[in-house]
Amino acid sequence: MKILLMGHPNVGKSVFFNRLTGANVTESNYPGTTVDYTKGWMKIEGEDVEIVDVPGTFSLDPKDKAEEVAVAMLHESRDAKVIAVIDASKIERGLYLAMEIIEEGYPIVIALNMRDVAEDKNIVIDADRLERILGIPVVSTVAIAGEGIKELVSRLKEAKPVNVDDIIANAANTSDTESAADAGGAA
Amino acid sequence: MKLSTGERWDLIDKISKETVTFGAYKHTLKDAIGELTVKPMTGIPVAIAIMYGFWSVFGSFAGFFTDGFFVRLFDAYWLPWLQEVFPGQGGWIYAIMVDAGGIESGEFVLSSNCLESFGVLTSGLFVAIGVVLPAIIIFYLMLALLEDIGYMPRLAVLLDTVLHRVGLHGYAIVPTILSLGCNVPGVTATRILETKKQRFIMMTLLAIFIPCGAQIGIMQDVVPDLMGWILLYLIIGYFVFGYILNKIVPGKAPEFLIDVPPYRRPLLSNIGKKVGGRVKGFFVVAIPFVLLGCAIVGVLYQLGVIRFLGDALAPVFVGWFGVPKETAGPLIAAFLRKDLAVAQLSAITMTPYQMITAVVLVSIYFPCVATFAMMLKEGWKELLGALAVLSVVVFTYGGLIHLIGILLGVA
Amino acid sequence: MKKKLSEMDYAEQGTVTGIEKDLQKRVAGMGIRVGKKLRMVTRQPIKGPVDVVVEGAETSLGLDMAGKIVVEVTK
Ligand SMILES: Nc1nc2c(ncn2[C@@H]2O[C@H](COP(=O)(O)OP(=O)(O)OP(=O)(O)O)[C@@H](O)[C@H]2O)c(=O)[nH]1
Ligand SMILES: [Mg+2]
Repeated sequence: MKILLMGHPNVGKSVFFNRLTGANVTESNYPGTTVDYTKGWMKIEGEDVEIVDVPGTFSLDPKDKAEEVAVAMLHESRDAKVIAVIDASKIERGLYLAMEIIEEGYPIVIALNMRDVAEDKNIVIDADRLERILGIPVVSTVAIAGEGIKELVSRLKEAKPVNVDDIIANAANTSDTESAADAGGAA
Repeated sequence: MKLSTGERWDLIDKISKETVTFGAYKHTLKDAIGELTVKPMTGIPVAIAIMYGFWSVFGSFAGFFTDGFFVRLFDAYWLPWLQEVFPGQGGWIYAIMVDAGGIESGEFVLSSNCLESFGVLTSGLFVAIGVVLPAIIIFYLMLALLEDIGYMPRLAVLLDTVLHRVGLHGYAIVPTILSLGCNVPGVTATRILETKKQRFIMMTLLAIFIPCGAQIGIMQDVVPDLMGWILLYLIIGYFVFGYILNKIVPGKAPEFLIDVPPYRRPLLSNIGKKVGGRVKGFFVVAIPFVLLGCAIVGVLYQLGVIRFLGDALAPVFVGWFGVPKETAGPLIAAFLRKDLAVAQLSAITMTPYQMITAVVLVSIYFPCVATFAMMLKEGWKELLGALAVLSVVVFTYGGLIHLIGILLGVA
Repeated sequence: MKKKLSEMDYAEQGTVTGIEKDLQKRVAGMGIRVGKKLRMVTRQPIKGPVDVVVEGAETSLGLDMAGKIVVEVTK
C-alpha cells in the first residue's frame, strides 16, 4: 500500500512524515520547504506501508516546479491513498484542494491539522459532521504534539473514493434537517 | 465527476456553513509583530537590524572558536607534533600529508602554521574543523531560527520590488539565503520559482555570486578586513548580471503570490534536529572533499602541474585579472571546495587589492563540484547555459574589478 | 465604494466582488474569491506587492495581480 501526504505548503505534512516514518526531512515555517518527494516506510497492522512526503501544492494546476512534482506524484500513483493535510485555521481553502483530489477518485482521509492554531483563532470545526457530509474520515490533529496521529493511522483503512454527487446531496440534506434544529437551539 | 472552480467553492461554502463557526477574532501580539515586520516603515529597519545581528553573531561566534581555540590547538600542538612524528620529512608523501614547507635561502624549512603547510592532515583538517565547522554551526543555527520563526516570507515581501529588477521576485530570497549556507539546497529550492526563465536566472546567480557558509567562514578568518569589499563586489555582481540576464533571457517573469504564515515559536527539538542533520552532512560530504582537494592540489604541486599552469596562464592572471600567477593552485582547489581555495590563497603573498580580486574570482569562477552535480540534476541545458554565462562573467567582471583597482590606484 | 485591490489604502476592509478570469484559478488556492472579506495590511513602495488578510490568512500578491481584483470597500 502507498500513502501520499498531500496538502497546501506549510500545513505540517513533513511533520507527519517524520512522525510516521521516523525520518528526518526538513520542517520549516515557510511555504515551499519540501520541493521534492521523499519516500519512507511504516508498519500498519503488520503491513509494510509506503508513505510519501509530497511537496505542498495550492491546487492541482501546478504553478511552479515543486507543485509540478506534487501533481505528477499524485497522477502516477493511481492506486495510492491520500492523507489530505489541511490547516484547520484556513479550512476552506484546504477543502478546495481536498475536493479536487476527491473528484479525481482517490481514496482519502482528512487530517485537520493545527487544531491549536484554529482554537487560538476561535475557529470551531465540527469534525464529525464534516465527516458525515464528506463520507470519509476526518481527524483533528496537532502534528507537532503528536495529537491525533494514532487515530489518523487507525482510520486509514476507512479511506475510500466518494462520489461528489453524494457530498452535494449530504451537504443539502444536513442543511435541510439540521438547520431547523439549529434554529430551534438558537431561539 | 469534476466541478468547475465556482461550483467547488459553492459546495465548500455550504459545507463550511454547516461545520465551521468562526468566533470573534482577537488580534494577538504575534499578529501585531507580524504586521509591523511587513510594513515598510517598520519592516525595513527591522530587516536591516536582523541581518546586522545575524552577521555580528556569526562573526563573533566563529571568531571565538577559531581564533580562541582551534588556531592554538592546530598551530601550537597539532602541526609541530605531526611535523615531528610523521616519517619522511622532505619527501613527497610528507609534503602532501603534513607540510610542503618552503625554501628559505636554499634550505628546506617547515611551515609555522596550518594555513601555510598545505598538508592534508594539517591545512585540510584545520580548514574543515578549525574554521569552517564553527562557522557553519552558528550559521545553520541562526538560519534554522529564521526559518522556524517564519521570517523568510516577510523578508520576501520586503525585497520583492528589488528582486523584480533582476527578473525574479521576492521569494527568490529563499534560494538565495539557503545558498548562503550551501549552494546545493539553494539550487534545489529554485523549484519554488514559477518559470524556466526565473529558475535559470536564479540558479546562474546562485552558482556565480553567492558564497557558501563555509567560504564566508574562512574569509572571515583569513581576510576579515577585506570582507566588506569582497561581499560588495559579489552583491553588485548579483544585481548587475541579474539585470542583464533578465533583459536577454527569453520567457516570463511572473509576479509574486505567496502565503505569509503566522510567526511561530520555534521548537528547540526541531532546531536541534535541523542543525544536527546539516552538520552531519558536512562531516559526511564536505570534509572528505576538503581533504581530497588538499591531496589533489598537493599532488599537482609535487608534479609541477600547478607551476606549469601558472606560467602558461600568467598573461591572463597577471595581465587581465591582476593577480599573482600562483593563484592557479587555489583555483583548482576551488573546483572541489571553495573554503579550501580561500585558505590556500591566504598563504600566497599579494597586495590587499589582489587578494580581494582573487577571492572574488574564486567565488565566481566555477561552482564547486557538489553544486555542479546538483545543477546537472536539475537539467543539463540549464547547466550549460549557466556555465556559458559564467565564463563571460568571470572574464568581464574579473577584468572590470582589475580596472577599477587600476583607476583607484590600488591594483 | 468599489475599488481595485491595488488602490486600497492601509487598513481598509471590504468584500471581493470580482476577479478577472485568468486570475481566478491562481488565487483560488489562497482562498481569495468573490464574496470573501479581506483586509489590507500594507503596500510596499515603488510598485511593490500588496499584503492582505483573507479569512485569517495573510497573502502577499504583486501589484498587477491586485489590479485584477475588485473590492467593495466597507471601511
Ligand atoms: N502550531 C502548530 N504548528 C504546526 C503543526 N503542525 C506543523 N506545524 C508547524 O508548521 C510548520 C510547517 O510544517 P512542515 O511540516 O514543514 O510543513 P509542510 O506541509 O511539509 O510544508 P511544505 O514542505 O512547504 O509543503 C512548521 O514550522 C511546523 O512546526 C500543528 O499542529 N500546530
Ligand atoms: Mg514539507
